[in-house]
Amino acid sequence: MSDELTIVTLFPSLLNSNGDAENARVLARRAEWAGASARVVAVEDASELPAHVDAVVIGSGSDNELEAARDKLRTLLEELRRWGTEGVPILAVGTGWELLSHGIELAGSNGGPVRAIEGIGILPGRAVPRESRVTDDLVVKSKFGRLVGFENHARDYNHAEASPLGRVLSGSGNGRGSGQEGVVMGDVFGTHLHGPVLAKNPGLADELLARMFRRAGLDYQRGERAASVDEIARAARNQIAVRLGLESE
Amino acid sequence: MGLRYAPAILIGRCVRVLARLRKPGGGSAVPGLVVNKIAPGFLTETLNSFPEGLVIVTGSSGKSTTTKMLVAALRGHGKKVFTNPSTANISQGLTSALLEEASLTGRIAGDIAVLEMDEGHGALIADALKPKVVLLTNVMVDQIDRFHDSEMVAGMLEKIALRATQAVVVNADDAFLEQIVTRLRGTVDTPRFGVSVDVLDANPRGLGLAAMTPRRMPSEAGVLVRSVSGRSTEVTIDGGAVTTVRLPARGTHYAVDAAAALATARAVLGNRFDPAIAVSTIGSIPPVFGRGETLQVRGTTVEFVLVQNPASFQLNIDHLDPDTEQILFAVGSDVRDPSYFWPVDTSGLGHVDIVSGSKADELALQLSYDNVQIGRIERDLGKAVDEFLAMPEPSRGVKTVIFSADSMRRTRAHLGLSAVEAPE
Ligand SMILES: [Zn+2]
Repeated sequence: MSDELTIVTLFPSLLNSNGDAENARVLARRAEWAGASARVVAVEDASELPAHVDAVVIGSGSDNELEAARDKLRTLLEELRRWGTEGVPILAVGTGWELLSHGIELAGSNGGPVRAIEGIGILPGRAVPRESRVTDDLVVKSKFGRLVGFENHARDYNHAEASPLGRVLSGSGNGRGSGQEGVVMGDVFGTHLHGPVLAKNPGLADELLARMFRRAGLDYQRGERAASVDEIARAARNQIAVRLGLESE
Repeated sequence: MGLRYAPAILIGRCVRVLARLRKPGGGSAVPGLVVNKIAPGFLTETLNSFPEGLVIVTGSSGKSTTTKMLVAALRGHGKKVFTNPSTANISQGLTSALLEEASLTGRIAGDIAVLEMDEGHGALIADALKPKVVLLTNVMVDQIDRFHDSEMVAGMLEKIALRATQAVVVNADDAFLEQIVTRLRGTVDTPRFGVSVDVLDANPRGLGLAAMTPRRMPSEAGVLVRSVSGRSTEVTIDGGAVTTVRLPARGTHYAVDAAAALATARAVLGNRFDPAIAVSTIGSIPPVFGRGETLQVRGTTVEFVLVQNPASFQLNIDHLDPDTEQILFAVGSDVRDPSYFWPVDTSGLGHVDIVSGSKADELALQLSYDNVQIGRIERDLGKAVDEFLAMPEPSRGVKTVIFSADSMRRTRAHLGLSAVEAPE
C-alpha cells in the first residue's frame, strides 16, 4: 500500500482509438475528489510498470494492430491474472477486452477464410465476426445502474453468458441473440461501451473506486465535486435515453 | 461529350429553381441528387474535361483552407479555375455546383478544376476520375463513426492518389502518406512539404498526425515551413530564399496549409510557377471564418475558433491567448459521439463561461474531468450566444467563441453573419 493511488493505462499508443484510455483520468479525478491523491501512469512497455498498481484501464485499438497489442499484453500476463483476482479492478474496452479473451476471429476480406488471433485467455469467451459493424448508442441495465454509451465494433462476443455486465435495453452488445452486454469476472470488467464510459456512468466508476479504495485500506465516499459533475452525466445519459424512447431517470 | 447530358442538366436546373422557391437559399444538394440518378456519368465526365486537368485536394484536415489558397495562387497566375464550395464536397453537392456553370454540352468554361474532396467520398468515385495532381494533406484520427481508423483513411487516400497522372503532393511529416509514396513506386512525381525541427519543437504536442515520420524533411527536398509567428510564416522552396507568407489565421496548421498550396501550385504550373505571385496571392485570402477570425458583432469584438477533429481541437486550445477571460464553447449534432475528443487535454482553458450546443452535457463532462470551471450550461445555442455577447466587456482579451462546424453554422445564422447553406 502506498499514499498515492496509481491507475495505469496499458499501451495507449496502440489502445486508445475512442478515448477509452481516458477512463484512467476519470478514476484518478474521482479519487482526488474523494480526498485521496491519485496519478495516471501510461505504460507503453512492461518495463515502465510502476511497483504498485491500484487500477488498470485497457482501451480499444485498430484491427491492424491487434497482434502487436496482444503481444504487449502477454508480457503482463502474470500481473493481469493476479490483479484480476486480488481486488485491482481492470476495465477493458472494445478490442482491449477482446484481447483478454480466448481469441478473436476476423472475417476474411472479400469472402476469404476466417483468421483467428489467440487472446491472452484471462476472460472466458471469444470474439466472433458480426455481419456488419455496429456503430450506435448502447444502453444496458446493470447492477451498477442503467449504463449509457456508444458501441463501435465489428464482432460479437460469445460465451460471456455466465457473468455479463448487464442486459441490453437498446443496441447490440454481445450480440448473437444473447440480449447481454459485457463480461465481469472477479475484478475484470469487459465492455463494448467505448469512450469515457466511467465519466458518463459514475455508478460503474464508483464500483471500481470502491474496490480500489478497499484494497488500499481506505473508505470510498463520493466527493462533493463528483456529485455535481454526476448531474451533468445524468443529463447526458437522459438525453440519449429519451431519444431512444427510454424513460428519463 | 455532345448533348448527351443536356436533358439531365436541364432537369437538374429546374429542380434547383424549385428547391430555391421552396426554401430560399437552400436545396443545394437536391438538384445534384436528381442528376446523379438520371445521368450517373455526368459528374466524373465533366470533372475530367478541363483542358489543364483536375486537381484533387484530400486528407483528414486542412482541405478547405488549402483549396482556397491553391485556387488563389492559380488565379494569380491568370488561370480560370473551377472549384467547389467547401460545403458541397459530397457527390450531390458537387454535381449541383457543376450544374451552376455547365453548358448544355456538359462543359464548364475554365482551364482547370480544383476540388476539395472528402476522403470517403473521393475513394468512392476515384476509379472514374483522372486527376493530373492529387494533394494529400494528412491522416488524422477523424470522426470514428464514419471511418474506423487511420489505416482505413490511409487506404482511401491511396485509392485517390493512385489515379494521379502527373504528381501526388504529400506532407513529408506524415508517415502514412510516406507509405503511400512508397507504393506509388515512382510512377508519378511526389513533391513534398513539411515543417522544420524548430517548428515541431514549438508544438510540444506534435502536429496532430496519426503517425509522424522519424525525421524532418531536408530544406532542399521541397517547401519547408521554417518558422511560424502569429499570422505569418517563413518558408523556403527547395532550400532557396526565405519568404514570408501571410496566413488567414494564427496557428502552425495554417502555415502547413500554405506550404501545401505552394507545393501543389508549383506541381500544377511547372515552369510557369512564379513564387512571388504564389506567395502574395496565398497571403491575400480572407481570414477563415470561425478558425481564429475576429469580427465585430453587436458592437463587441469576438474571436471565433472552429474545432473539427481532435487535432484541431488541441491545437486551437493550445493557441488561445492564455489571458482569455470570456469563453463560450458549443458542440453540436455534427459530432455524433464525442468520445474521440477525450484524448484532447482541455485543462489549458481554465474556465468556460457558457457551455452550449446539442452536445453541451457531453462537452461539459469532458471539461469537468479536466478540472475546467464551468459557468453554466445552456443547451439553446441562440440563447447562449445572446447572453454571452451581452456580458460586460472583458477586462482582458476578447470574447472567444469555440464551436464545432454545426454550432458554427447555427451561430452564423443566428447572428445573421451570412447566408447559410442548407443541411445536406
Ligand atoms: Zn480497423
